[in-house]
Amino acid sequence: MTATDVTVTLTVNGAPTTRTTGGHVSLLRWLRDLADVTDPKYGCGEGVCGACTVLVDGEPASACIVLAAQVDGAAITTAAGLCEPDGSLGPLQRRFHEHHAAQCGFCTPGMLLCAHAMLRDATEPLSRADIREQLHGNLCRCTGYTDIVDAIEDAQAQGIAR
Amino acid sequence: MFVKPFRYERAASFGDAAAMLRQGAGSAKVLAGGQSLLPMMNLGVLDLEALIDVTHIAGASEIAQRDGYLSIGALRTHAELERDPIVAAGQPLVAAAARWVGSSRIRVRGTLGGSLAHSDPAAELPLAMVVAGATYDLTDGTTTRTVAATDFHESYFTTSLAENELLERVQVPVLGPGWGWGFAEVSRRRGDFALCAAAALVRVADGRVVESRLGLAGVAERPKRLGAVEIAVEGADATTLADRIGPIEGIDPVSDVSATAEHRRHLARVLAVRALTDAVTRGVAA
Repeated sequence: MTATDVTVTLTVNGAPTTRTTGGHVSLLRWLRDLADVTDPKYGCGEGVCGACTVLVDGEPASACIVLAAQVDGAAITTAAGLCEPDGSLGPLQRRFHEHHAAQCGFCTPGMLLCAHAMLRDATEPLSRADIREQLHGNLCRCTGYTDIVDAIEDAQAQGIAR
Repeated sequence: MFVKPFRYERAASFGDAAAMLRQGAGSAKVLAGGQSLLPMMNLGVLDLEALIDVTHIAGASEIAQRDGYLSIGALRTHAELERDPIVAAGQPLVAAAARWVGSSRIRVRGTLGGSLAHSDPAAELPLAMVVAGATYDLTDGTTTRTVAATDFHESYFTTSLAENELLERVQVPVLGPGWGWGFAEVSRRRGDFALCAAAALVRVADGRVVESRLGLAGVAERPKRLGAVEIAVEGADATTLADRIGPIEGIDPVSDVSATAEHRRHLARVLAVRALTDAVTRGVAA
């Protein structure tokens, strides 16, 4: 530990976690490299691709452009936080699975969390165009998005938000 | 993402932050939402020794309307501007501009003061502030001075902020009776930087333009008011507006990977017409 290190405590998917590291360390590196929470992925480092999306106190954020020190004390939810308590797939994850909404899977954690937030926050039914617009900050290089939009539409039809 | 280490410091007050900036002597910068600053750090565009987090300063996120002005604390996020009923009622152009900023993830964390101080020439909020005639309160912790948005945004990523000054608050004149607003933008995909954006405020009487304020972003080194167009459209109605507007003068669009200068110049006129027309239509309904 050096004089400029900061101790950060985050509740990650319900588990209080404390690590001490340099103040320059992003939330993404803190999670992946220090806390061994590897479902958020490193894509672009600019907040553009959405692969590193996590929920910070319930709101989606790009973990690569947030410092861990900035959000000390926050509750962090990653895609694994959408699982059932026994670790099996949660309802939204099952919709993605059934619609084959993942190919390589790299964007999937971010897609799931953004889908969760849009379904949770929708005040009226989302059209396919609405879903696509709200996914504009999540890039997928495999699927062409159709299956992802299908999965989210299906989840909405079944009243599933997480 | 191998970022050169820097110090993270938290300021408890604007005075505190100003003192840290003075101490940093150019090697420290203010960190608010960090949605532009941290990508620049990740990409190695900036080489700094310290970032000073101002988001924990108490009392810096007021939204209130008094004496004909909206007073908005610099730490308000784009998402809050988008949703706040006082902003929507007082100056809907600000709420409309905030909706065009980045993705929802960026809007939840990015702040008004951060966007204005960053002064990207394609950014929506500086444009809305210039067109609305806003002023900014800048503080060095002891004295506060007020600067007009038009004077604050000097050039590409360059403002009139002194090295130890921070943007504390924004004062936006409230939209008057008979005024309508319009905001139009084209980007490669939703959430990308604007190739060009236009903002307009128009006072309408008997369906015709009495006076207007029009500005463009993305086609010059800073948000630009278009005085010649404002004069040209006086007396026009929604159907004759476009005939009054020729090629836009006084802009200097560049060519890059996203669009050619000619395309941006074309968009400048199209979006100016669109924003003005929407403003007239809303002004008639007001």
